[in-house]
Amino acid sequence: MTEAYVELHARSGFSFLEGASVPEELAGACAEFGMPAMAIVDRNGVYGAPRFHMAAKKAGIRAHIGAEIDLSQVFRGTSRLSPVLMAETREGYQNLCRLITRMKLRARKGEGAATWEELAEFARGLVCMTRHPDERLLEIFGRGNVYAEIQRHYNREEEACNLATVERARRLGIPLVATNGVAYATPDRRELLDVFTCVRNKVTLATAGRLLERNSERHVKTPAEMGRLFADLPEAIGGALEISSRLAFTLADLGYEFPRYPVPEGETQISFLRKRVDEGARRRYQPYHERARRQMERELALIEKLKLPGYFLIVWDILRFCKENGILAQGRGSAANSAVCYALEITAVDPVGMDLLFERFLSEERGEWPDIDIDLPSGEKRERAIQYVYQRFGQLGAAMTANVITYRGRSAAREVGKALGFEIATLEKLAGLVHHWEWKDPKDSSEGQFHEAGFDLNHPRVRKFFELYRMAQDLPRHLGQHSGGMVICQGRLDSVVPLEPATMPGRVVVQWDKEDCADMGIIKVDLLGLGMMAVLEDCLRTIPEAYGKRVDLAHLPQDDPAVFSALQKADTIGMFQVESRAQMSCLPRMRPRCFYDIVVEVAIIRPGPIVGKMVHPYLNRRQGREAPDCLHPSLEPVLRRTLGVPLFQEQLLRMAMVAAGFTGGEAEELRRAMGFKRSEKRMADIEVKLRAGMTRNGIAGEAQDGIVRSITSFALYGFPESHAASFALIAYASAYLKCHYLAAFTCALLNNQPMGFYAPAILIKDAQRHGLRVLPADVAASDWDCTLPSRDSNGAVPHLRLGLRYARGLREEAARAILRARPFTSIDDLALRVPELRKDEINRLAEIGALNSLGRIHRRDALWQAQRAVRPVGPLLASLEEGGGPSPLAPMNTEERLRADYQGAGLTIGKHPMAYRRAEMNARGVTRAIDLAKTPNGRLVRIAGSVIVRQRPGTAKGFVFLSMEDETGIMNAIVAPPTYDLYKVVLLSEPFLMIFGVLQNLDGVISVKAARIEGLYAGAAAESHDFH
Amino acid sequence: MFACLHGSGNLMALAFEFSPVVERSAPDTVTLDASGLDRLFGLPQDVAAAIARRAAETGVKANLALASNPDAAICAARGFTGIGIVPYGDEAKFLGDLPLELLGPSPELRETLERWGIRRFRELAALPPLGIAERLGPEGLRLRELARGEAERKLTPLEEPPRFEDAIELEYPVDLLEPLAFLLARLLNGLCTRLATRALATDELRLRLQLEGRAAHERTLRLPVPSLDSKAFLKLLQLDLAAHPPGAPVVHVWMGMNPVKPRFAQSGLFIPAAPEPVKLELTLARIKAIVGEERVGSPELIDTHRPDAFRINQGQTERSPQNQGQTDLSTRRKNRALGQIRLSLALRIFRPPRAARVAVTSGRPGFIAADGIRGKVLDLAGPWRTSGDWWTSDPWSRDEWDIALSDGAVYRLYCEPRGWFVEGSYD
Repeated sequence: MTEAYVELHARSGFSFLEGASVPEELAGACAEFGMPAMAIVDRNGVYGAPRFHMAAKKAGIRAHIGAEIDLSQVFRGTSRLSPVLMAETREGYQNLCRLITRMKLRARKGEGAATWEELAEFARGLVCMTRHPDERLLEIFGRGNVYAEIQRHYNREEEACNLATVERARRLGIPLVATNGVAYATPDRRELLDVFTCVRNKVTLATAGRLLERNSERHVKTPAEMGRLFADLPEAIGGALEISSRLAFTLADLGYEFPRYPVPEGETQISFLRKRVDEGARRRYQPYHERARRQMERELALIEKLKLPGYFLIVWDILRFCKENGILAQGRGSAANSAVCYALEITAVDPVGMDLLFERFLSEERGEWPDIDIDLPSGEKRERAIQYVYQRFGQLGAAMTANVITYRGRSAAREVGKALGFEIATLEKLAGLVHHWEWKDPKDSSEGQFHEAGFDLNHPRVRKFFELYRMAQDLPRHLGQHSGGMVICQGRLDSVVPLEPATMPGRVVVQWDKEDCADMGIIKVDLLGLGMMAVLEDCLRTIPEAYGKRVDLAHLPQDDPAVFSALQKADTIGMFQVESRAQMSCLPRMRPRCFYDIVVEVAIIRPGPIVGKMVHPYLNRRQGREAPDCLHPSLEPVLRRTLGVPLFQEQLLRMAMVAAGFTGGEAEELRRAMGFKRSEKRMADIEVKLRAGMTRNGIAGEAQDGIVRSITSFALYGFPESHAASFALIAYASAYLKCHYLAAFTCALLNNQPMGFYAPAILIKDAQRHGLRVLPADVAASDWDCTLPSRDSNGAVPHLRLGLRYARGLREEAARAILRARPFTSIDDLALRVPELRKDEINRLAEIGALNSLGRIHRRDALWQAQRAVRPVGPLLASLEEGGGPSPLAPMNTEERLRADYQGAGLTIGKHPMAYRRAEMNARGVTRAIDLAKTPNGRLVRIAGSVIVRQRPGTAKGFVFLSMEDETGIMNAIVAPPTYDLYKVVLLSEPFLMIFGVLQNLDGVISVKAARIEGLYAGAAAESHDFH
Repeated sequence: MFACLHGSGNLMALAFEFSPVVERSAPDTVTLDASGLDRLFGLPQDVAAAIARRAAETGVKANLALASNPDAAICAARGFTGIGIVPYGDEAKFLGDLPLELLGPSPELRETLERWGIRRFRELAALPPLGIAERLGPEGLRLRELARGEAERKLTPLEEPPRFEDAIELEYPVDLLEPLAFLLARLLNGLCTRLATRALATDELRLRLQLEGRAAHERTLRLPVPSLDSKAFLKLLQLDLAAHPPGAPVVHVWMGMNPVKPRFAQSGLFIPAAPEPVKLELTLARIKAIVGEERVGSPELIDTHRPDAFRINQGQTERSPQNQGQTDLSTRRKNRALGQIRLSLALRIFRPPRAARVAVTSGRPGFIAADGIRGKVLDLAGPWRTSGDWWTSDPWSRDEWDIALSDGAVYRLYCEPRGWFVEGSYD
């Protein structure tokens, strides 16, 4: 007889350290053993439910959803009573979510237990399974909804408990149900569960004792095995099947509804949206031409059909809030393909003018919600926007999406090692093996690394470590918060997914991450913080005052020669998206001449096009070394603007539409089939369809092959044109501001650190080379932020005053107290009237020269006086006190001053350290950065400077790229793998390097191919940004 | 005049050769009062030469400095290699080039001085005293004095610790335990009397026997509580030597005792009197002599699922009466907790377990035969499965069965990789 059984008590890794398999593995095991269904019941949550639901769907089994709920009542003095609650109906699921939300929001993060009263309040629609049946549960859930759970793990004590449970259940007339209390899919995972137990209890395996598992029996067992185990209690197996047949609810029936926007009486959602779009379109398009009108109509019709007007109105409402509160906001991503978004001022790119493809954003066939990402200035402004959403939809109506933190290389190594009881030093070494260089040597397989670090994989403990380390990969560790994704719901979000408190006060997160929410069809809005938005906003505020001019980002001159000249020279430090070393080495070849070139530039230097080998053909065609080839004449309108090289996802879709007659939705399906999770079968099907379509359109033979090849090779990496255009707008704005309002731009950059590719020290040096005068931080003149002092009477160019925020270790409250108490007559006066100032802070200010103006003294004088000011001598010696005259200390020499600057502020506004050594460098035959451009290609040169960036990108096959700075500019060096191996230590540890090698000076792109590298003692330097 | 030695080797011994007033300034630095040595050796250079010569002879490798005050001597010895003689009155000039780290300033002071650009003795010495006092307080002033070589102080002389050691050189080799015991008793009595006069006791006896043919035989006895019972000591030594006899006749006996404060304890009124610790130790030593050392102690359950796992705790004999009471209570409490889950059936464990031959039918034992046990399995419960220690080189896994045999008894049978065993029988 074939046995039947359904596992109703399976914990996944989403019980956080109480389960050792991911939901997919559980679903896989279940399907393999021919079970028709399985219930996933994680502790106090449904964290793993969406993944289990999706995996179950794929495996062809039914996914029951439930949770183990801790009750606040303690059972028999030791353990908590944790009944399993399973959702029978949608109401039951909603009750479960609300119950979990209630208990979680009351407690601290990661804790919480329900009371009996709450259990009673949310009991409808739930089936309860417990190992300790009693009248109370019976009363709460009602007869027929409570089952007595029996587990058998070959354990004598457990069997004794089972006898009692069976006896009590029979007395109360409660049916029995057999489960296996599954905590992992396969027996070997028990070891990992033991390790997790150690992590949870902060002990090692050797000291964990009876906390560990008694045996390895909590795996998914076959129906036959379960049948054998419960041969004496067949009704218990029957109970499991009975419950399973009752549990009609699955996540497919979530009942999520996106909120409706409250419209005035007499209006419907769509009519209100139409009006807003019409108003906006008339403002945006002057004149509002027919093409735009048609596009609007097409989009609105689809939005209405998909019942999405509420979504657009809500995003519009958030944007309106930002605008009214002076928060700069701009939509990015595929939303920029939509003319409706453009009209509602959600995005800033005109999709009609740029001929962007709407289907990339929204299509009927896709059955997926649109995704609007909004860039906001990072920091407090973004927080205000988030709080607005909370306020608008209520604490239980909106929440951030979660970010499931999983075990990755380093964390897995550290915690597994700790559980195995490795020494701290060994642990560090093991964790260090998993370094975060992007690029991985093929020899660098984990085994190789372990061997290299002196660990013998044949040693049993090391081998065990390695096995467990691998097993732990990708298992959830704890729940974090996603940076900006918010989900909103009509009615109550807490009946769709449980909410819980985040670490950050005032924030609530849902139990699912971004992908889970998307899979479950929950619509989300991403409110992302972007440093450059804050910079632009700051500039708009400061420019009118400092320059007496007003700048409107929406109406910047489109073809500003200064901007394009800077871009062509790769003079782009600080500019958005085009400042990285890779961008800089592309710009002189690309030579951007119009806005669209910037769109291409933003999109082309990405891992996608680089790996897809698109960069060189494009640049060659651009420089006229190769003729543009559009594969087929019919594709010319699609590929012409990128010279025949498909760069954007939209082009791919259009290629399929034009060449093979695909609809927009079909084309989008093609893109997804080719995307990251490729399926051979789906691809083959689509290729057949593609070829058939092309043959119908008369494209055959070589042209057809070429198109198929270019679509398949490219699909994986494409970048949406709309997104590139949105970013290019910000890039252009940043470039424009840098070229015309350098002081304001630099000031804003410095006030919004950390952001971008370069450290403040580099930004300042670059600005100085462009003629900006930078004044030092000064307690008598600086604010907390960097400022643009008001112009003097002769109307000189604005300059920049460093803010007190650059005095490292100075607290903002102390600095604010200084600003309130200004002016000061002396350092004593400062110390006396600003009691908030701590000793280390006043010393820091003295050290970086911020006190020099109080008495026209040098830094050491200030230090001498500051030391006394913070240490009053008392009345006895008061009469002996010396006056504020000069100190017996010698002024700092150049090197000391540089060191004080870099240590105390992270930057210097004085000369670059290399400038002081120029004579010596000249004697050693070193070429300055500025002179490299004039040096012919192929010449042997010697360069020297401070290292500002070290990079080993994943796409560069182990090559290391260095950027170094001297007083005249920035120079780049390329280190090939053999040279890197030879000079690894020097290269990674020395702040100043001298590099000897062949100069490559092609098309204005200048770099030195390093042959020999040596360290250069030059004292203090700014910290470099390494290994991005 | 003071001399300072900074380096490695037996600096103390060397210093005591030249002066009774010796200070151990640091683990690697010794300072001595050298006043009066000029009358023996002449000029400071001659004194230095004499010390250096002796250092070379005794294998001491150290810098040597002479100065008019101890701290200047210490700074010079630490700062300059070889021999340094700090001229009187010119200390500041002589020490001027030394780095300030030598003075070991507090981290905070070091940071301040570094910020001021003050890195050498000369620079600190030049700062005005009032300015220093205001800014750096007493520590700053003291550091400045040291930097100027002006600090005056007395040495903190070291006394030689009293030693409790004695030895007997034998006229002829002793090869029997009894005459040796006689000698040991003499040494023990003497040493115990010396300890008693200083109100001390001992917790460690060290015995070193020189054997014929230059070999040595060393034994150390550690006592659970300090004691002065020489008779008990003698008995313990005898038992120990009987268990570990020297390999050759003894020609020289050396004995040392570790002096410690005696411990007094009052026994509780309601706590049963425990045997006297030294007596208990003696009894244990006798038992150990019979059953072997590793088999004596109190058994202790190990926190693990491994069946019947325990260890012998050998350091359990020392226990103050109060502690004993508490431990008993907590053990009782723990036992009660265990009792709750334990089945009421009592199991008599066979030690060692009896190997069994088992006929298995459909995965379950059907018939067993072991030493004194033989029969058909009439009824059974199980398997009860445990496994663990998988991360060690000694993992275990076993299946247990409770079986009712045709001989009328109920047994516990288990199967592990080594085979089948009967573990015990139920009452």
